[in-house]
Amino acid sequence: MAAFAWVMMGLALWHFTVFLPDRFLGGIVGAFVGALIGSVAFPFLIHGLSVPSQDDTTILVAAEAIPGAFIGMAVVYWLGAREERLAGEDPELAEPA
Amino acid sequence: MTDRRRNLFILLLVFGLLLASGVVVATKETRLGLDLEGGVSLVYEATPTPQEPVLEDEAIERAIEVIRDRIDALGVDEPEIQRSGGDQLNVSLPGVADTERAADQVGRVAQLYFYDWEESVVGPDGSVGSQDPTVTGGQAAGGIADAVELYGAVQRAKGVEPEVDGDNTHEGLFYLVNTQEREVLEGPEPVREELFDGEQVPEQLPDNVRIEAIPPGVIILRAQAPDNVDADEVERYYILRDDPALRGTDIENPEQNRDSSPGGTGQPIVTFEFTEQGRTQWEAVTSEIAQRGLANRLPGQPPDVSNQHFAIVLDNALISVPQIDYQENPDGIDGRSGAQISGGFTIQGAQDLASVLQTGALPVDLELISQNQISATLGAESLRQGIIAGIAGFAIVALALMLFYRVLGVIAVAALFVYGLYFFALMKLIPVTLTLPGIAGLILTLGVAADANIVIFERVKEEIRGGRSVAAGLAAGYKKGLTTIIDANVVTVLVAFILFVLATSGVRGFALTLGLGTIVSFFTAVLFTQAIIGTTARMKFMRSKNALGAGKPKRPITFDFMGKSKWFFSASGLILVIGALAIGGQGIDFSIDFESGTQVRASLEEPAEEDEIRGVLSQAGLAETEVQEVTGPGTPPNTVLIATEALEPAEIEDVSGALDDAYGGGETYSATSIGPSFGQSVAQGAIYAVIASLLVISAYIALRFEAKTAVPILIAIMHDLLITAGVYALLGAEVSTATVAALLTILGFSLYDTIIVFDRVRENTPRLPRATFSQIMNRSLSEVIVRSLNTSFCTLLPVLALFFFGGETLRDFALALIIGTASGTYSSVFIAGPVLTAWKDREPIYRRRRARLVKEFGHVPAYPTATVGGEPAEVAPREETSEERRRRLTTPDDPQQNVSQAEWQQMMRDSEDERTRASTATVARRQQEGDADEEGGDGDESAQRGSRGRDLSPDEVVMPGREKKQPKGGAASRRSRRHGRNR
Repeated sequence: MAAFAWVMMGLALWHFTVFLPDRFLGGIVGAFVGALIGSVAFPFLIHGLSVPSQDDTTILVAAEAIPGAFIGMAVVYWLGAREERLAGEDPELAEPA
Repeated sequence: MTDRRRNLFILLLVFGLLLASGVVVATKETRLGLDLEGGVSLVYEATPTPQEPVLEDEAIERAIEVIRDRIDALGVDEPEIQRSGGDQLNVSLPGVADTERAADQVGRVAQLYFYDWEESVVGPDGSVGSQDPTVTGGQAAGGIADAVELYGAVQRAKGVEPEVDGDNTHEGLFYLVNTQEREVLEGPEPVREELFDGEQVPEQLPDNVRIEAIPPGVIILRAQAPDNVDADEVERYYILRDDPALRGTDIENPEQNRDSSPGGTGQPIVTFEFTEQGRTQWEAVTSEIAQRGLANRLPGQPPDVSNQHFAIVLDNALISVPQIDYQENPDGIDGRSGAQISGGFTIQGAQDLASVLQTGALPVDLELISQNQISATLGAESLRQGIIAGIAGFAIVALALMLFYRVLGVIAVAALFVYGLYFFALMKLIPVTLTLPGIAGLILTLGVAADANIVIFERVKEEIRGGRSVAAGLAAGYKKGLTTIIDANVVTVLVAFILFVLATSGVRGFALTLGLGTIVSFFTAVLFTQAIIGTTARMKFMRSKNALGAGKPKRPITFDFMGKSKWFFSASGLILVIGALAIGGQGIDFSIDFESGTQVRASLEEPAEEDEIRGVLSQAGLAETEVQEVTGPGTPPNTVLIATEALEPAEIEDVSGALDDAYGGGETYSATSIGPSFGQSVAQGAIYAVIASLLVISAYIALRFEAKTAVPILIAIMHDLLITAGVYALLGAEVSTATVAALLTILGFSLYDTIIVFDRVRENTPRLPRATFSQIMNRSLSEVIVRSLNTSFCTLLPVLALFFFGGETLRDFALALIIGTASGTYSSVFIAGPVLTAWKDREPIYRRRRARLVKEFGHVPAYPTATVGGEPAEVAPREETSEERRRRLTTPDDPQQNVSQAEWQQMMRDSEDERTRASTATVARRQQEGDADEEGGDGDESAQRGSRGRDLSPDEVVMPGREKKQPKGGAASRRSRRHGRNR
């Protein structure tokens, strides 16, 4: 049940990436993958590589996915921005200021 | 074949099938499932026996045959025995009310053995042949007085010298024991793994827990039960040398009789005869026993004291240990007159034993892991509710179709009626057992059939409003709508198939009707309506656009779906955050389908407080129970739901009896009992079904559209499923196997809308060669949003009928569908579309288009726009060329990968056309709409060309404020023909 709540929280937070510039590696889908992996991996790590049982799942356990999702999305964003920087801006695609 | 002949042929076929269906419906009986007729459903898990240490297919098939014979002996009409999951057997017994007896008859292994008692009993020192009455029981041979507890029996048996020969009934048995508590935890099992539910034996067992092995050649038997004590309650055991003198295969013609022998008790007994071989063995062994009795006679003792015994053992329990009177039968007993088993039987008990001996032993052990009993009254009530929900669903869908599409709606309703009759006839013909979930599936397919008509009719309306004649619009509508319908129906059928393969039997009924219904509805909703419309297209009533609901053009939708999508994303995100916290805080209330336990649902005659009921149940021996009153539309008054630990059939009988005594109405009840292993297998099946559905759907979508399309669809599906789960957590609604079926159905329905949208995107992409993907998506959504909403609405209508009229069981199912359908429609437009847009707009070709538009207009307009006379003007999609239509059959429409040199030149010419000829094109959408409105739906078609609901030629550019008609035969008219349809 905890894993279910984590995935749900990751998906929920991913929805808000539309407010950010699209610099995620792989775009919005890359952000989605980052959010899901982060939201599951982070709490999984802090629980000592285990998933709390149904009885041990609380609001706090569900909320543990929040930092994970942010970290996951931040990593994907950083990777995307880095790739963009290395590739250089295509003048044809540049939007006027 | 001409269209006219084709239509005539289809109509004749339809009417022929209609007549045949009528005959089938009138003459064939409907097979009702247990939930509608009442009866008992038992689910057994087969496990190896000592005789069959490995579960072979053949053994299970033999077991099914034995069970079938036993059920026949019970006198049950139309029983069903289905094998599922390899080692599970589902036995449905319609009309049976006594679960306990049914379970005993069906699941009893009935391994019958006869032992020479004194020669077989193992003493404390491991020796046999003892005449010590404290070992054998003496005159009370086989009784509980001199038996030992199971732990002691295991310890004694494990030390006995192994003896392997052809007579052994097993090849070694294993027990799991706690040496400190001196108790047996599990066993006997023929292999170690079975002590751990088939899992691998742990390397490290808990402290004081160990596995004890009983060697072949020794057996532990339950002592004979005293009078008035249930055999299962006896916890004393004997250890015997496993050397049976006779077996169940050595007897024949077992019958229930009364003990009418001289000096007999008149009590019920089971008599039987011996086979040829059995008779010889019987005479030999009884002679040997008699001789030993004579030999053991001591002077001064009554002769009876030295009488020896013969043990009759059924399923490892002593049922009778009669003595052989050596004075009466010094040479043994003549086997020609047969023998008898007496043991304090009731008449029914003796009949049942005779019956199982007659059918023979089961080759496998059967463990009852789930049982479900539904009273006939409740079944009838469920059937009534299902029929009402079906009629209500049909009526409101029919009403909605006629309201939206008028004449076309009437034809669709006729098709629905034909569909209903066909489907009902097909159910009887196959025959398919009609269950409550099956009725739900049938009602849902009404929505599926209506959806197909909506997709076509909306397209027809669009074509007619776009300037086509009624006849041409009808033809084009069917042609263009067909792809969408096939895609959506294939997905629904795939999901139904997966459900059928992986789900439990109850859900299978739903899957079967959903799958069958979708296929049949395709025939009636598409082919039949097309034939009727094709035949009547030239009639007067079909020539009126108003009569088809395609009169006045609708006001175009100019909503910036993509621009505003971030706010819808935020709303979804917020709902999901709340859902995730609700799941964390409250969890999901899983029904006993997934966990173990017993649930009794009873409609009482008198009202009762929950605490009072708990008290009544407590007196009946149930200490911990949860009692909950159930209310809602279609639920009888005073209905209570009682949940407790997994109960045996007899205990469930006690519960219903206690309720009946206290409040009346205990006969209107259903009881479901699920064991832990069954719950686990159900949960596992549900997870597999969801994963398999997602995989299959992704593969199909990727194949039919573009690989990239599958990802937004998966995200949208995930969104729908998680929102539904979140709402369930928030409402505290119970999640059962029916809910899982509903969730999987949501996958299909959610896709219906998404496919409609993406299909239009696929169509529009090559028709808007200068537009960004967000503009293409906005354009496509504005064109199909009405039909998407209509299909969802028409799906929701029968679901609402299920919710309000389907009774308690179907209400839970309908709740998931209502949430999922609403979420599915929303996610198709506001999740899948924007995600695909955000992803596709990153592609270089769309980025270049985007950059060009930003350079030109300073921003990206919501809809495809070109500059006309220095002013921005909206561009409608141009008509596909026949070449493009051909190309679409074999290649994707991705402009990034699929623009040939010729196409590129054409696109450049189109682009140039937009710029140079826009000022002379049909313009002024708002003005024009006003004109069109004034002229009415049947007015001048040319005045409607600029309306948004149709396919426009590429040079039709919409500008506010003015309108200019093209002169007939002019250059623009010729160009219009070149790119578009010939008007």
